[in-house]
Amino acid sequence: MTAFKRLDTGGRIDRSRTLTFTYDGQRLFGQVGDTLASALLANGKMVVGRSFKYHRPRGFLSAGIEEANGLFTIGEGNRAEPNIPGTMVPLVDGLVARSQNAWPSPAFDLMAVNSLAAPLFGAGFYYKTFMGPFKKSWMFYEPFIRKAAGMGKADAAKDGARHDVEYGFCDVLVVGSGPAGLAAALAAGRAGAKVILAEQDAEPGGSLLSESGDTLERWRAATLAELQALANVTLLVRATAQGIYDGNQVVVSQHLANGQLLHVVRARTIILATGALERPLVFSNNDRPGVMLASALRSYLNRFALAPAARAVIATNNDSAYATAFALAEAGVAVTIAEERAVPAGDLLAQAAALGIAIFPNAGIADTLGGNTLKAVRLKGRHSVTIECDVLAMSGGWNPAVHLTSHGGIRPRYDEAIAAFVPGGFADGQFGAGAMLGHFGLLAAVRDGEGAARSALTRCGISKMPAAVEPPAVRDDRAYGIAVAADPFAVTVPGKAFVDFQHDVTAKDIKVAHQEGYHSVEHLKRYTTLGMATDQGKTSNVNALAMMAALRGLTPAEAGTTTFRPPFSPLTVGALAGRSVGRHFRPTRRSPLHDWNAKNGCTFIEAGPWMRAWYYDWAGATPQEAYVKEMELVRKGVGLADVSTLGKIDVQGPDAAEFLNRVYVNGFAKLPVGKARYGVMLNDDGLVLDDGTTSRISDTQFYMTTTTAQAGEVMSWLEYLLQCHWTDLKVHVSSLTDEWGGMAVSGPDSRKALQLAFPDAEVSTEALPYMGVKDISFGGTTVRILRLSFSGELAYEVHCPANFVTALWEHILKAAAPLGIKPYGLEALASLRIEKGHVAGLELDHRNSLDDLGLGKMAAKEKPYIGKELRLRENMQAPERWSLVGLELMEPEKKLRGGSILFAATDEIKGHGRGYITSVTWSTELGKFIALGLYNGGLRHEGEEITAAFPLKNEQVKLKIVSPHFIDKEGARLHA
Amino acid sequence: MPEVMLAAQSPLESVSAFTARDISIREEAGFTLTQVAGFGKAFERPLAAAVGKLPAKVGALQVNEAFTVFRTGPQQFWCVGDVPPQGLPGECLVTPLTSSRCRIRVEGALARRLLARAAAIDFDARSFKPGHFAMTGIHHTPVLIHCVGDNAFHIYAMRTFALAVWEWLVDAGEGMVA
Repeated sequence: MTAFKRLDTGGRIDRSRTLTFTYDGQRLFGQVGDTLASALLANGKMVVGRSFKYHRPRGFLSAGIEEANGLFTIGEGNRAEPNIPGTMVPLVDGLVARSQNAWPSPAFDLMAVNSLAAPLFGAGFYYKTFMGPFKKSWMFYEPFIRKAAGMGKADAAKDGARHDVEYGFCDVLVVGSGPAGLAAALAAGRAGAKVILAEQDAEPGGSLLSESGDTLERWRAATLAELQALANVTLLVRATAQGIYDGNQVVVSQHLANGQLLHVVRARTIILATGALERPLVFSNNDRPGVMLASALRSYLNRFALAPAARAVIATNNDSAYATAFALAEAGVAVTIAEERAVPAGDLLAQAAALGIAIFPNAGIADTLGGNTLKAVRLKGRHSVTIECDVLAMSGGWNPAVHLTSHGGIRPRYDEAIAAFVPGGFADGQFGAGAMLGHFGLLAAVRDGEGAARSALTRCGISKMPAAVEPPAVRDDRAYGIAVAADPFAVTVPGKAFVDFQHDVTAKDIKVAHQEGYHSVEHLKRYTTLGMATDQGKTSNVNALAMMAALRGLTPAEAGTTTFRPPFSPLTVGALAGRSVGRHFRPTRRSPLHDWNAKNGCTFIEAGPWMRAWYYDWAGATPQEAYVKEMELVRKGVGLADVSTLGKIDVQGPDAAEFLNRVYVNGFAKLPVGKARYGVMLNDDGLVLDDGTTSRISDTQFYMTTTTAQAGEVMSWLEYLLQCHWTDLKVHVSSLTDEWGGMAVSGPDSRKALQLAFPDAEVSTEALPYMGVKDISFGGTTVRILRLSFSGELAYEVHCPANFVTALWEHILKAAAPLGIKPYGLEALASLRIEKGHVAGLELDHRNSLDDLGLGKMAAKEKPYIGKELRLRENMQAPERWSLVGLELMEPEKKLRGGSILFAATDEIKGHGRGYITSVTWSTELGKFIALGLYNGGLRHEGEEITAAFPLKNEQVKLKIVSPHFIDKEGARLHA
Repeated sequence: MPEVMLAAQSPLESVSAFTARDISIREEAGFTLTQVAGFGKAFERPLAAAVGKLPAKVGALQVNEAFTVFRTGPQQFWCVGDVPPQGLPGECLVTPLTSSRCRIRVEGALARRLLARAAAIDFDARSFKPGHFAMTGIHHTPVLIHCVGDNAFHIYAMRTFALAVWEWLVDAGEGMVA
């Protein structure tokens, strides 16, 4: 049945431009200027959805963002987005919309069988029904409940839309472009302030778009034209202010053609011109398709040129709905008004009489009749007549849109005069204007808007005051005239009288909640689910709260309201994530050798933000195969490894040596120029922070290296110490991690390799002894050669400015090719150091003391250093602390796994054990699996056989505790 | 062995400039960046003699004949030129940083909006004018952004993150012109 007809004239649609769209697979037509909602109504689609629990047929309730019934899945495939109000979707050619929560269609929904069980679905239904009889009953029922009741489904496919985030800054952010917002933006814009005007609709104008007559449209158009001509004003449409946060930061989500743009706006001042939302009336079967808000019917008529086919009934308790009645009558619709008040205003009665409108005072709606569409309404009161109609428009008053004012914690205040909540105040730099303050009326809105702009300009320190904003040439605003005393919130309605349309909460549910003791508005919300879901109770909250107040014998002011929180309307996770998805989820850090590695058979592995060279294909196709060969290369010949990821810090200044002497546990004050020293630093809890080598380049300059993982933390730590603790020290620190790259040349042939690569440099053991450092000039840059070894072999690190690292790497590979030099990766690098017993990131986890790691002897006894006192606490020296041990696998046929829990041989395998394995590798030298671990009492148990358990795979193996130095305990190779 | 000259390599060698209507993103290499720090006023005099006038406040820059000098801290300057400052005495703590940064040029009518999608800085032409710079973050990494023209900017990105920052910027650009 067609309840609406498209008028031949009027409205804001373009009749010359027809658009094609698809709804549930059906090809339909609309006009430019339509929303999906208006286009569906024009196509006779009165039933556009099914209700949440009962699957009752539902039509559009509103024409705006408060829509509770007409939700759709918009788009297809990876661009599909569920739960979009059709009232907020501008119609575009090719739009694809699907209905939700109905099968096979909203008009004929087999799930409507749910309504037969309606008596079961009352308040607290879930809590009462599905929590027993067993402990996990809810987990069993939940999938069935979700299938039977609910809304749209998000697609599992990767989002095909392109979302982004944009930061904005302005003097004045105006939220809402109705008459108040336009006036505010114009006044602020004229004064030269930087203004952002955010409008959630596709077209600016707010309530003006739904009015008739040229006067208002001329004012709107002229105001907009002036705003658009101002370079300091930015107008955003389809842009919803979702939340206000500290420091007047506002998040505004904007729909663009290819996705959403999240504006994060830092506003010096905010003017909230958010208008008001009309309340429904609560009566039996008030959810039948064809029953809608009076303001919505006015929008469909004046904006979209849609009129009820023949007859409309208006039910109201206030004056505002008369404008709808008059517009309908002027469009040729037969109108009857069911007026809840006894005596409407005289001028309205006269105007109604002139238009042939019948008014029934003291007569709200008792019930509606019909099926999938409305047939008639039955009036309550002494008239008790039944009136045939196509559409019933209701107005229960207006709720100022106070949501944003509450996001900072300011609770709304109940205003008896308008029977609604108004802002309880404004945060610093925030102002309100128009209907959101409860000031209903066009001229009041314009005055408010201009006034708020002047306040905002003053707050911004802008002294130039703008020229006055001329209001539209209309007669003054009439009174709002709501029937405050007429009990608009009756709770004695028989049948299904819906308060919350989206979550199927009825007046009876509220009564039940009250009877069962859920009196607080917060409890009422949670017990009935009222005010939840995508519309967040925009049309239901005040009716429900007032009902509960009446049941408790309180005023709505005493009962209070629930808390409004961001977002104002649903936001997708995609919009929040913006472009921070996939490879842009976090930045990837690449070594200067990355490109070379990528082209030369390297397989990479993620290590924190870094992409590190894991292994090379010359050594094998799998890491297990490759790292063993790469280890053998280093143990028997010479290999080249990228160590550019190491943290590198330039420490300069006359007090640099003293500074390092305080930072490291061992002495650095007397380190000679041209020498490097291994150092360990503690945090101020006395636990190991990091280790590394630091070289003295000159009397006043040191070159510090840190572990890859702790580079940033060490840098921050050093800066903190200099800026907060030792401000008297003349030292500057600068990160060189990006400036310098490096490579380890490791193995018995490494000296020969350097001699081939740098024939003019003296690298003999006399000229460059173990822990010696020298800078040479080579190839047009500075090359720093440090005789250090992580692998335990004769080895060097060769560093140079990162721009030249690749060329230097290629040069060494080429020059030392006769020695069989090849690159080796992180897996081999980490395995070689386990054989040598060097601790690394897995052992340096900020939980271990110097002594736990067997490094206590290197700490200076006399000099002070960070963490010294706490390091020596009794507990930190306790013999039973978990300390570093070496571990050898005793069962050759089995495998040893990192993370295994360690138990004494006689222990029951249960709980956290006596320690755990930190690092494990196959030892090419020993021909067995070896590991480093932390064990209760450490090397006091050397030689004992223990058990390693790996519960995830139900494995247990026998190990022996040994020294962590598996090879070359005397260090002969290092000093070769 | 013949004399070897090591060739410099940029981390952005594998990418091509992004050019679209009203926006271009490209690497602008070939600069020398030297950090000079010190204590008190003693180091500023010889530094000024080497690079020209110094900016007085942190966050300000001075464009001299051979050097653009950024005051990056109370006692720290970045000097960008074709060569490093010469003849600096020991009071000046010199740290070459040329390899540590990639310089990316973003230019065009959409450049300011693109940057607004990258960093939480007010890039409005009335606020961030030619000659202004900011030390901020793009894609979770530290950057220095220098406005070098009405709608032209240099972004000094950390070398090891340069490709990630580049891809982030280009992705933003592609989104704006899609």
